[in-house]
Amino acid sequence: MQREVGSLPLAPALRAKLVAAGFQTAQELLETGPCGLSKELGISKEEALEALQVVRQECHGDAARTAGGSGTTRKCTALELLEEEQAQGFIITFCSALDNILGGGVQLTKITEICGTPGVGKTQLCMQLAVDVQIPECFGGVAGEAVFIDTEGSFMVDRVVDIATACVQHCQLIAEAHQEEDHLKALETFSLESILSHIYYFRCRDYIELLAQVYLLPDFLSEHSKVRLVVVDGIAFPFRHDFEDLSLRTRLLNGLAQQLIIIAHDHKSASHGFRDVQPPAVTQNAEDTEMNPRKRPRREEEK
Amino acid sequence: MDWDQFDLNPKVIAALKKADIKSIKEILNLSGADLQRLMKLSSADIQCLLKTVSHMLRRNSMLTALQLCQDKDHLTSQHQKLSLGCSVLDTLLKGGIPLVGITELAGESSAGKTQISLQLCLCVQYPYKYGGLESGAVYICTEDVFPSKRLQQLIDQQHKLRVDVPAEIIQKIKFGNSIFVEHAADLDTFHNCITKRISLLLTRGMVRLVVIDSIAALFRCEFGVSDSVMKARYLQTFGAQLHSLSTRFRTPIMCINQVTDAVSESEVAQCSCRPKGIQIQPVNIACWCFWASC
Repeated sequence: MQREVGSLPLAPALRAKLVAAGFQTAQELLETGPCGLSKELGISKEEALEALQVVRQECHGDAARTAGGSGTTRKCTALELLEEEQAQGFIITFCSALDNILGGGVQLTKITEICGTPGVGKTQLCMQLAVDVQIPECFGGVAGEAVFIDTEGSFMVDRVVDIATACVQHCQLIAEAHQEEDHLKALETFSLESILSHIYYFRCRDYIELLAQVYLLPDFLSEHSKVRLVVVDGIAFPFRHDFEDLSLRTRLLNGLAQQLIIIAHDHKSASHGFRDVQPPAVTQNAEDTEMNPRKRPRREEEK
Repeated sequence: MDWDQFDLNPKVIAALKKADIKSIKEILNLSGADLQRLMKLSSADIQCLLKTVSHMLRRNSMLTALQLCQDKDHLTSQHQKLSLGCSVLDTLLKGGIPLVGITELAGESSAGKTQISLQLCLCVQYPYKYGGLESGAVYICTEDVFPSKRLQQLIDQQHKLRVDVPAEIIQKIKFGNSIFVEHAADLDTFHNCITKRISLLLTRGMVRLVVIDSIAALFRCEFGVSDSVMKARYLQTFGAQLHSLSTRFRTPIMCINQVTDAVSESEVAQCSCRPKGIQIQPVNIACWCFWASC
């Protein structure tokens, strides 16, 4: 009930009016009532009623949260965070050298950015990861599903079929060598069809579609709670050409990155963005070096 | 944009109209905080608006990889490819060239690139059953005159080249009528060609293949060494436009690029005559900026 007026989810203009009129806490607002409020602020009665409804809901929510004990302002120690991170699985890449460098594989709850010159194998790697995230737990995987957002149209199903078939064969070899109950049971459900049916593919043709898709992602992930990997293949591709307003581009890309960070953390999944980087001879590099430094600090913080 | 048809709170619709927001693009270009200030609504309302608008744009857009794999409809399937008319090449390319995206055909001079692309212009006209797309082709020449005599020879010999197709089907197709030839020797003509003229043919469904012979010729003469920035920008723009045309109309774009081979001394000593190599590869738009071949 001692909630500050400035922190309530009301329209900014309304908040400004409340502060100017001298209201400081939510309690004061509730005591004034709708008629008094509409007179003091010079707003209509309907607006005052709506505002009070919002305030009441918020306070009710706050009370429930403090009673429950856990909420968005949960406190935990660094040791607990470390243990939580170490207990999480990794998504292996099937290349032991790469897994060693990454410390086990691609981490969950983090954004991993993969940049490279064109043709170096970024799309191949992300198709591999989309298959590897589905490996059952008894074989060392995270048994999750994957979302693949494609902006360049480079997702070739035939290649994914090859990768998935090889992965299933690999697991079959392991099962034959070890001959354990749970291995054989897991193999029953780990087949080519099941792998393909758990890769959710979205094709975005321009940056507007990409933005819209990322806004819809949290709801999609809530419905499909087993998703553990989100791949965005070519996050910079739709922004690279036909963009005269560079500051808008920077803002949109940063906004996208922020949203993905929130999604990765809330849904405990790994987000992957892929970008092409051009070698020094060409203009592209000028644009890319602007974007790169901004992305690196975020990665360092996370990792 | 008619906001009334959206599933939104009337108060939000009124705010949209008052703020003079005319399209979904404008809404998505603004951040959540900007929208709150502009429309004077709370953050919950704005979140709801963003989700509704995104949903409107992206409903029914999800596919699973299994659905992509099992899709056999020739209008949407990824398995549908454009055959090159040669069983050996088709086997190497797993069916032919993909329908979406730009494919680059690179090789030394007189390796056979123009011959393959002429043959492709004929292959595209065959029915779907024989690896074609039942449509015509656009051939854009940027350096030489179009080899019409050679094309005529190929047309006359189709029954020998394509033994897998019954003779009566070959006779029915009027190959010459469906090949549209453009000469574009400079950048502006080329730009005009791909933005206006080709889109018209594609929209009418008259062509399902675009061949550009050759892309490097456009850039060889007009740009000096110091203009590489400008050159890259043009290439990038053209690449993006072609890519977007290809995606919209599911039309393969074949670009011919001439490369010079770096021959080492020992190789020359070993053999006086080497078979020339051709490279066929799908092009990643970003790597067009690498083309410095002259």
